[in-house]
Parts: sequence; C-alpha cells; structure tokens
Amino acid sequence: MRKRGTILVENIVFIILNLLFLAILVLFLMRQGSGALVLEQTYSKQIAMLIDSAKPVMVIKMDMDKGRKLAEKNGIDFNNAVKISGNTVQVKLSENGGYTYSFFNDVSVSTSADRDEKGEYDGMYTFRVNEKRGTNA
Amino acid sequence: MKRGEQMHKNKKGTDKLLSIYWFVILTLVAGGIIAMVYVFYGPPYDVRGIESEIFAERIADCISQRGFIDQSFFTGGNFNAETGEKFTDKCHFNFNVEEGYGDDGETEYFYEVEFYTLKDLTTPVFSFNDGNVNWKGDCFIKKENGKDYVRLAQCTEKRMYALSKGGGQYLIKILSVIGKSEKNVKQ
Repeated sequence: MRKRGTILVENIVFIILNLLFLAILVLFLMRQGSGALVLEQTYSKQIAMLIDSAKPVMVIKMDMDKGRKLAEKNGIDFNNAVKISGNTVQVKLSENGGYTYSFFNDVSVSTSADRDEKGEYDGMYTFRVNEKRGTNA
Repeated sequence: MKRGEQMHKNKKGTDKLLSIYWFVILTLVAGGIIAMVYVFYGPPYDVRGIESEIFAERIADCISQRGFIDQSFFTGGNFNAETGEKFTDKCHFNFNVEEGYGDDGETEYFYEVEFYTLKDLTTPVFSFNDGNVNWKGDCFIKKENGKDYVRLAQCTEKRMYALSKGGGQYLIKILSVIGKSEKNVKQ
C-alpha cells in the first residue's frame, strides 16, 4: 500500500512540473507577442503609413486597445503614448521604451486618445490631418 | 541478493535515468521555442514595400487627376521645367526627417518621373527627380540578379497613361524608392 502511494505522489509531482513548464512557455509566448517593443514598433509604423496615405482634413481613428492596456500596466498616460513632432511618429508604451518612425507627407497631425461616457480611455486613437501652416492646397 | 530486490533496484535506476532524459528534452524544447520566438519577433517589420507603393500613388495623384495631366506641367504647349523642380513642395513631400541614412544623414527617399509620347517609348520627353539618387541603383541590382537583397532600398515602378488638355497622350513612368534599411531590416 505504501509503495503505491509513493508512485502516485511522484506521478502527480511529475505532471505538475510538466504543466508548470508548459504554462511558463505559453506565458513567455504571450508576453513576446504583446510586448512593448513589438507593439511600439507596429503602432508607429502603422500610424506613419496611415499619415503618408492621408490627405488634409481627414480624420483617422485607430484601434490601439492592446497598447492602452500595456500603457496602463506600465504607468504611462495613454493620451501621451503617441507623439508626432515634425514628420516623426513616436509611440511610447513603457517607461524606458519608445519607437520612432518617419513619414514623408508634409502635413500637420494632431493626436488624441478617445474617451468613453465615463471619461475613461476606450482604446481608440484619433488622428486629425491638416495642412501645415503657410502651405497652399 | 534476491532476484526481486535486483529488479527493484534496476527500476529505480531506470526511473532516474528517464527523468534526466526528460529534463534534457524539456530544455531542448524550451530552447527551440525561445529560438523560434527570437527569429519571429527579433527582426523589425519591413514596411518599405508598402511605403514605396503609397509614395508612388501619392506622386501619381499629384501628376494627374481623372486621367488628365495637371495643367501646371505645361506652358505654351511645352513641358514646364519649373513644375518638375518644385514638384516635391507642390505635392507636400518632406524628405528631411529623422536622422537619415549613415553618418551623413542622407535622405531616405527618392523618386523619378518620366513622360513618354506614344510615338517614342524609349526616350522621355520630360523627366524630373528628387531625393537621394544613390538609392536608384538598388532597384536595378535586384532586377538583374533576381535576388531579394533585404538591405537594399525597396522600389516601386508605376506606369500610367494620361492626356494633356490639348489631347496629347503620354505614358508616365514613376519610380519611387525608400531606403530606411536601418529601421526595417535587422542590422
């Protein structure tokens, strides 16, 4: 009876260790896919492409909910996650991170994070494309 | 030693050996997965192909609308060289962005537009370009060798037909080139 009990405990420990190993691997994969480095790069390039193909007076809305969750987790105000200065987009979702990408379209772009009825960020970002001051249509 | 005791001892030894192998296999699997993830997420996303296509589309939009070449390209029945020279400003393009390429901060963009009459499709009657002309060579290296050298600039060649207001028919070739290998290709 004692022997059988020992075998059962060993098996359970073995199964638990295997499950733990698999869980760590899955977590690692999920973290890599939704990590700040990957998302910052993806968003900044997407935004640059959108601006390049946009024309003045266009309003573009982009779903950045994954970025919102990550920014909140890292203590970054979602409204400050995207900055456009000159012809460069910077997306910053972590304290030490940040990725910049440039666009060739010479337009002025203002950005803002959308809020829901409760005043909380809903994960959408709005880009308003306007002509640069001092240029003609 | 009795036969039963011997078998029991052997079984214990085999179990230990199996568990060592099992952990070796687990380590190999984990290492393999980590390597695959690194290969998948490590290199940056290459968006230069899309970017050069957007660039070519924007140039085409600037030259002709609804099949007619913009009137500013002509003056007194001839092509207006000044429009070609000021095309970058006219189309609201800004190439002076980011840190540029290499130590000198070279421009990462280049475009060339050529107008051909339908009578002669070999010699352009009017052409202009702007940006970093050094990128242009990369487009032809890829074509000649038939290989995709990832660190070379990405090019898009677009051809379209358009009419002048006077009824002249033209073939317009647009070549748009994007460098930006530092941000799009693993260094």
